[in-house]
Formats: sequence, structure tokens, C-alpha cells
Amino acid sequence: MGATASHLGKDLLSEYQELTFLTKQEILLAHKRFTELLSREDKNLPDPRAPTEAILTLPELKSNPFRERIVRVFSTSESRDGLTFEDFLDLLSAFSDSATLEIKSHYAFRIFDFDDDGTLDENDLEKLVNCLTGETDETRLTPDEMKQLISNILEESDIDKDGTVNLSEFQHVISRSPDFVSSFKIVL
Amino acid sequence: MGPVICRDNISVLISPRNRVLASKSSKKSRHLSCLADCSERMSLVRSFTLQALDLWQGTMKEVGGSFGSSVLSYFLFLKSLLLLNVFSFVINFSFITVPMLAYDHVPHVPPNVTFRGLELLTGAGYFRYTVLYYGAYRADSSTGLVHYNIQLAYFFTIAAYMVLCGAAVLYSMASSFKMNYVLSDPVGGGSWQLLCTWDFSVTNEKAVRQRKNNLRIQLKESMSERSQGTSLTPAEKMRHFGIHLGAWFISTSMAVGCGNAIYYLTTNTEDWSPAREAETLLVPFVVSLINLVVPLFYSLFNKFELYSSQRRQIYALIIRNVILKMSILGILCYFWVNEVAHKFLCWESMVGQALYRLVVFDFFFMMLGSFFGEFLSKVIGTRWIPGLGVPEFDVARNVLDLIYAQTLAWIGIYFSPLLPVLQIFKFLVLFYLKKVSLIQNCQPPRRVGRAAQMKTIFIALLFFPSFVGSLSLVAYTSWSLTPSRFCGPFKGLDSTFSVVVVWMNSLEKVPAAAWAVWVYANVVRSEIFYFLVTIIILFITFVFWQVTQGRKLLILLLRQQIVNVSVCFFFSKRVCGCWYPALSYFCHLNITRFRFQRFLPIYRSSFALLPPSSLGRKRQDLPA
Repeated sequence: MGATASHLGKDLLSEYQELTFLTKQEILLAHKRFTELLSREDKNLPDPRAPTEAILTLPELKSNPFRERIVRVFSTSESRDGLTFEDFLDLLSAFSDSATLEIKSHYAFRIFDFDDDGTLDENDLEKLVNCLTGETDETRLTPDEMKQLISNILEESDIDKDGTVNLSEFQHVISRSPDFVSSFKIVL
Repeated sequence: MGPVICRDNISVLISPRNRVLASKSSKKSRHLSCLADCSERMSLVRSFTLQALDLWQGTMKEVGGSFGSSVLSYFLFLKSLLLLNVFSFVINFSFITVPMLAYDHVPHVPPNVTFRGLELLTGAGYFRYTVLYYGAYRADSSTGLVHYNIQLAYFFTIAAYMVLCGAAVLYSMASSFKMNYVLSDPVGGGSWQLLCTWDFSVTNEKAVRQRKNNLRIQLKESMSERSQGTSLTPAEKMRHFGIHLGAWFISTSMAVGCGNAIYYLTTNTEDWSPAREAETLLVPFVVSLINLVVPLFYSLFNKFELYSSQRRQIYALIIRNVILKMSILGILCYFWVNEVAHKFLCWESMVGQALYRLVVFDFFFMMLGSFFGEFLSKVIGTRWIPGLGVPEFDVARNVLDLIYAQTLAWIGIYFSPLLPVLQIFKFLVLFYLKKVSLIQNCQPPRRVGRAAQMKTIFIALLFFPSFVGSLSLVAYTSWSLTPSRFCGPFKGLDSTFSVVVVWMNSLEKVPAAAWAVWVYANVVRSEIFYFLVTIIILFITFVFWQVTQGRKLLILLLRQQIVNVSVCFFFSKRVCGCWYPALSYFCHLNITRFRFQRFLPIYRSSFALLPPSSLGRKRQDLPA
């Protein structure tokens, strides 16, 4: 890779800067925070992978309702567990200030797609609403309210009336919501 | 189907990155290393300066993490106003004050005037003779090394600052409008939007829990609103209309009444003689008191008035507050321009002092407002009347206060070039005060959303009436009013603008500057030019409007086509096996140009049509 875990070479730094939306400062900060997450044995590996539990201890992700989905979506391992440094940079780049609306909506769609089948069907929407309103029984919506809410959502965003929200419909809704870009942001 | 597709995508992800890396490492870049080093150093310097200028980044992150982006927008607004004032101070100081100080750095103070503490409040007395005000600048030909025309410097510095300021505010207003109004859904605020715009930057555990709570309440509210089908009887509609009318009548008459009171107060008490200096504090005190108390009274109307949406309620509150503040300022400006300008010997300095006092009292009352609005509300809400609860940070009211403060500064620049110093100090103290008060006393806002549209409205209010009003006042002063004959850089001239006329006359003798004289005579002073420009702008606006209307119609037609296509697909899949070629022919015929293949259900199950610039990278070469 051209770099040990403790130091990032200058060439690699500029390459990362070209390939992502992050500035050099942000990449260096990300590298520092990432190496703190690694265990001592992993630090000497050529391409270390930080385990999911360690990543979820980051203060920026700790209280996020979608933290596990975020790690799963950006992970490139077979078992979708743990992030390499490049995965971590991908994550920060997609959530950075300068990422475009297309990229953010693309990743938001993948994060909300709980069963990874490429569309948001009713189960995905139900899990999404439960994630955002609370997990305990008192805070959940009743089944009737949930059904009503999902039918409202589909009425708003399902353009081709097939009962699911696909990526394009999702992006269409997102493009009409000006708050999305400023709220889909995680900064170290 | 799912995991396989995703794994394919991962390999798609990895290979372009490796390809880019491989191609870069094989480049023979050794001979460019020197150039690379230099550019590296330059970019480091640039990033260092950008970081140094990125003031308060940690605070912003902390506030945004706990309170969300709508409260954060207040602090960002404050920061940008502070930067405007810093810029104003820098150019005023370097182009106007420093040459004046270099020429004559001892203020010409009469022997019986000494510095007492009262000057800090009134701005009169000892300060009157310092470079703080217009009166201390003189245009006598400097006998130094370089001939520096203070008249032209004064006029052009202030004109340039106003123009640059106006351009900056206009640009940010236009881009914010385009992003947040034109493209946003008018129906919107629906459940889906609430869910999609979950604020990922909130990191505080308690804040996240509270947001989830608030979101649940908002979802339930929006669902019940929809299912209710709000239909009122005609009697109820008349009642609501009557209440609205009454509320607007009361608020407007209060604004007019306050304006009249201020006018009466100023005409009867302001004689501004040095002996009765402390009396001059009465008018700013009353103005600031009105600005503090009456908006609170307006918020009481919320108890009686029922608006169909919360947004309309906020808009109504904002409009009422703006009418109040602008009418008071308008009355004061009318008084200054019509009466003060003819009564006093050095009237610009007098107006500058009045503005100084207004700024100082506005500062004190802003701190007082923070005390009452936040600290006392919290004490009342937690100890005495627990039902009220911890207060929310009222973004609208605070931003309107900031806009008012900036209006005062913009009006005051012509009469007191160093007023931005006071403004900078005020905004710095205000930032830390508001931050502490927010964290100690307030809870995050209960209703989420619409932060971006509010931001657009605030910038629009900053432009009109704030900037436009102050610009028109300064323009009127410099165009129509006679400068005072005994002090200031423009004494002896008919109007401030005459310096340009005089300068142009002197330039006529210089052959090299003939183009400047031509531009002045035929562009700046000719009415035909402005008429033509106005006609062209109106025409372009009309053309763009027609294009927008056409596109709206097109969107409706295309939406209907999508529904038709999916119905067609559903039936044809049932009817015959070879649906793909027929359907694709139909679809490509009509909508190929608009890249609407993505909307077809055919592509629903594959990620093959990734947007080319996706996956966290700015550019890449996807395999076809």
C-alpha cells in the first residue's frame, strides 16, 4: 500500500485527496483517528481492518441510529464487518461537506435499504421508521399508524406505483428537499 | 439476488481505485518533483490560512451536534456578519483613517473638553473631535510626501464597500433561493421528507433521544392532519379571517404608534447641546426598549391566532417584527435627514453620534434580551411554572435582532467610518454570550425541518429592507444633501457627489484618462444607459420565466408517462413473454433524451446504472 499504519506517505495523501472529497487535513485527521481504533497487533499489518465494535465507539457514530447500517454499507469485506482505512475514507468522503447530492442520496438509499435488495419496500420502510422513532415498545408507532405512515410515504414518493421506492424515486424526493445536504453530514 | 449484486458492485468499486493508483505510480514524476514540492508548500500555506480563518469551528460543531442545523444557522449568520464588519473596518481604517492620522494625528479638541466616562455611552463630548466621526476628516491639501485626496478616498471607499457588500449579499441570496426554494417541494414537509432529513451531525446521546421523540410527535401530527382533512365551516373561516385581520391591524397600528412616539420624543427633546448630554440617552433607550418588548407582545398573538401551518405563523411574526423595526428606523432617518441636516453646523457628526448611541444601547438590550428570553424563562419554566418547561432558542427573533444591528452599522458607515469597530466588539461578545446561554438554558428545537428555507428568508431580509434601506439613505445623503460647511472632508461642495464631478473635470486635462471621462459622461450620467439596461434585464427575466413555466408542464407530462409505462409493463408482462424489446422500443422512443431509463422498473433490481461520479469519488472510469 505504500504506507505503514503509523505514517501516511505524501504520494498516498495526494492520491487520496484526488479520489475523495476530503482535504489533506481531514485525511490526516482520519488516519490518526483510525489508527487509534486498531489493536496493537493489527497496526503492523499491511492493510489493517478495524473491527465494527471499535468503529462504533467513535463519538461521531456512537449515538447515530444508523451506525450499524453505515458500517455495513461501507465495508468491503466478505462478511461486511469492519472497515479498512480506505473504507473509512470512503465513509468520510460521502458524508463530507463537499460531496455532491448524487453521492449522498446514493449512499443514503443504501443505508436505508435494510435488506440490501436494491429497493425500499415496506419492510425496509418499517425498519427505517422504527430506527428513527425509538426501539422500545412505548416509543414505537402502533401497527395502524405504521401502515398509514407507509402508505403516505409510498403515495408521496412512489412514482411508478409499483409499491416500492427505487433509487431514482428516492433521489427525486431528495432533490426536492433542501435540508438533506446539510443534514447528511458527519465531520470528524 | 441481493448479496450477489452487491458483491459485484464491490469489485466494481475496488478496481477503478486500483487502476487509478496503478496509473499514478507508474508515472515518471521524478522530474516534476521540484514543481510538486513548490505546489505542495503553497497548498499547505493556503490550507493553513484557511484554517486560521475558520473561526470557531469547534464551537460550531458542538452547537450543531447538540442542537441541530437550525440553531447552527444563527451562529453561522453571526459569523458571516462579523466577517463583513471586519472587512469594512479594514478598508475604512486603511484608506480613510490612516492617511488622516498620518497627516494630522492630534485631534483638535477645544480646551474645555476632557474625557469623561460618559463618552462611551453617548459618543459625544471628547469623541466628537476624534477620527471616529465624519467631522474630524479634512480635505486640506496634504503637505506630506504624497498628495492623497481624502475626499475621493472617503467617497470611493464607502461606495466600494457598499457595492461589494450588496453584491455578496445578493449573490448568497440568489444561490440560497435557487437551492432552497425553487427546487423544494411546495407540498413537502410530509412524512418522507421528515424521515430522510435526519440530522446525521447530531452526536449528543440525549439530543438524539430528544430528536427521536420530536420526530415521532411530528409524524403523528402530520398523519393526523392529513387524515382529518381540514375543512372548516364558513362561519369558522370568517371567524379565523376576522381574528387574522384584527391581529394585523393591532400589530400595524402598534408599529405606527411607536413610530409616532419616537418622532414626538426626538423633535421635542433632542437639542443635542453639550450641556444636556445625558438627555440624549433617552431616545436610544426608548427605541431599544420598544424593540425588546413589542416583539414579545407579538408572540402572544400566537395564543389566539390559528395558522394553517407553523411556517405561516413564523412568516407572520417575522413580517410584523420587520415592520416595527423598519418603521422606527425610518422615522429616525427622516428626522435626521430633514431636521438635523439643516439645524446643526456639523450635522454628519451629530447623526454619527446618534447612531453610536443606538448601537451601544442595542448591545445592552440584546444582552438583556438574552437574560430575559433564555435565563429567566428557564428559571420560570423549571422552578415556578413547571408546565412551561425549558425554553427553546428562538432563532427567528435573534436573527432579526442581528439584521437590525447590521442595518444600524450600514447606515452609520458614512457618518462614522470607525463604527465597525464597535460592531465587531459587539458581535464577538454576543457570540460567546449566546453560546453560553444556549448551552445552559435552552433545549433543542421541537419542530425539525425547514432550516434551509428560513436561512433563505433571513438573507433576503438582510438584503431588503436592511441593505437596500441603508444604501438608499446613504445615497440620498451623498446625492441630495448639502455637506456641512464647517467640518468634514466635503465642506464647501454642493453635494458629496460633486467630488466626482470635480475630479472628472480635472481629469479632462489629462489626455491619458480620456476614456474615464468618456465613460463618466456617457454611461454614468446618461439616463438612456440605465433605461436600456433596465429594459434588457426585464426582457431576460421574462424569457426565464417562460422557460420555467414550460419546464413545469414538462415535468407533469413526464410523470404521467412514467405511470403509464409502469401500467403498460405490468399488463404486457402478463400477456406475452417477449416484453423487453417492445417495451424498450416504446420507452426509448419517447424519453431517451431525458435519461429516464432509471425510472423503468426493468432496472429496478440491478445497480448496473450507477451514476458515474458515485461511490465517494469525484471521477472514475466505470466498466461499461
